[in-house]
Amino acid sequence: MRRCVVGTLFFSLTAFFLVTMLYAENMPITTSEELADEKLSEDSVSDKDIAVTDTEAESDETGQYGMEAETPLVKDTLQPFNRAMFAFNDKAFHYFFKPIYTGYNSMIPVQARVSVRNFYTNIRMPVRFFNCLFQSNFKGAGTEMLRFVINSTVGVAGFLDPAKSKFHLEKQERDFGQTLGKYKMESGTYIVWPFLGPSNTRDTIGLVGDTVLDPLTWVSWFFLKPIEGVGNYTYESVNKLSIDTGDTYESVTKPAIDPYTALQDAYLQNRMKRIKE
Amino acid sequence: MNKKKVMSSIFYGVVLLIGMSSFLWADENPGTLVMETIDRGLAVLKDPSLKGAEKSQERKQRLWKEISPIFNFEEMSKRALGQHWKKRSPEEKKEFVDLFANILKDAYIGKTDTYSGEKIVFVKDKQDDKDYASVQTKIITNTGAVILVEYRMLSNAGKWQIYDVIIEGVSLVNNYRSQFNTILMKSSYKELVQKIKEKSGKETT
Repeated sequence: MRRCVVGTLFFSLTAFFLVTMLYAENMPITTSEELADEKLSEDSVSDKDIAVTDTEAESDETGQYGMEAETPLVKDTLQPFNRAMFAFNDKAFHYFFKPIYTGYNSMIPVQARVSVRNFYTNIRMPVRFFNCLFQSNFKGAGTEMLRFVINSTVGVAGFLDPAKSKFHLEKQERDFGQTLGKYKMESGTYIVWPFLGPSNTRDTIGLVGDTVLDPLTWVSWFFLKPIEGVGNYTYESVNKLSIDTGDTYESVTKPAIDPYTALQDAYLQNRMKRIKE
Repeated sequence: MNKKKVMSSIFYGVVLLIGMSSFLWADENPGTLVMETIDRGLAVLKDPSLKGAEKSQERKQRLWKEISPIFNFEEMSKRALGQHWKKRSPEEKKEFVDLFANILKDAYIGKTDTYSGEKIVFVKDKQDDKDYASVQTKIITNTGAVILVEYRMLSNAGKWQIYDVIIEGVSLVNNYRSQFNTILMKSSYKELVQKIKEKSGKETT
């Protein structure tokens, strides 16, 4: 019963964001044809007061800059909500997660923490395997299969990663959001989720897809009490933060003048790169 | 016979000279330049006489002296401000370049305090144009994670300098440009400079 309620709530929220996305007026960032469009709309927004001569100079300069395109305008229709969520997440990070993982760091040696992460990574193999298949990356799917077999046996139930250290089989970072991106789905509006952090419409749908593919979801659904499931996820994220994710977050937001935009931009640029891969 | 020997030795000498000169020329290659600078930086970090928290300030100074010449801060500022750059007066430009350099210094030199033997490996370099090149490297952390770092370089009268650093697909200059754009959309240039000053003031104290 309770699960039903939570499920309905989740889906209605997703539906709400989807609808907001449809009514959003800015252009999303995806293909290169749109980039040209983008540039125009950006110019018209920020250069209203500039004369025509200036626009000419502008195009001149883009030619001179040559190597990269102007950053496209980001679709961020939920900005007030997102900024609030960002502030919430930032506080949660600094006052809750960081003290926990700093303490955890001082108690548990780094090798042990990496082993725990390896264990979770190994269990999550179906997510990467199926997404490799969806992206018709059969070599990657094979690699993931081999990695799973090697690491589950020789790697002592996934705690070690001999597939990487001995056989040089690299983990294939594939997720469903990426798959959707490869099929030319637009990224939609930018959303910051509580605890989960930056995302967008496409990656949120991707996240739902990955959750379905994730064996841990099924284990916690059928065998664990809700509180145990939450505990499990919290532990996993603390462990992950303690290795390097926490550092990454700080190195993006700390030197920033406007941390919200810095994180947003870093997220979008990083996603673009991953989809291109 | 003897003459032939002399001739051949001269020939080999010339070949050797040519070979060496190409080796000397290689110094101007962007990839070698970046890696040499990184090596010099790492040497400062590994220097036993500069270890420890109390030497932190001195170490940062030395490191900055070693690596800052390879960055073209003016080009970086120009790109980070984008369309707002040419509306600024020369004095404002100069002030901005200094401020921006300072921010980058605080942000990235500050991180080296936690350096613990991460390796930096050269991957490849590519010259797109006569004046543009990119150098790809990767950082291998102690936990075995790999971070791809790409340096975009611009040649200024034969002198290669970095104008952008791209970490895992995230361009440093683009990241600052979106921040500056967001701020400038709502407030004036003066307020932006004020914000940057506050930021670097906080970092140094």
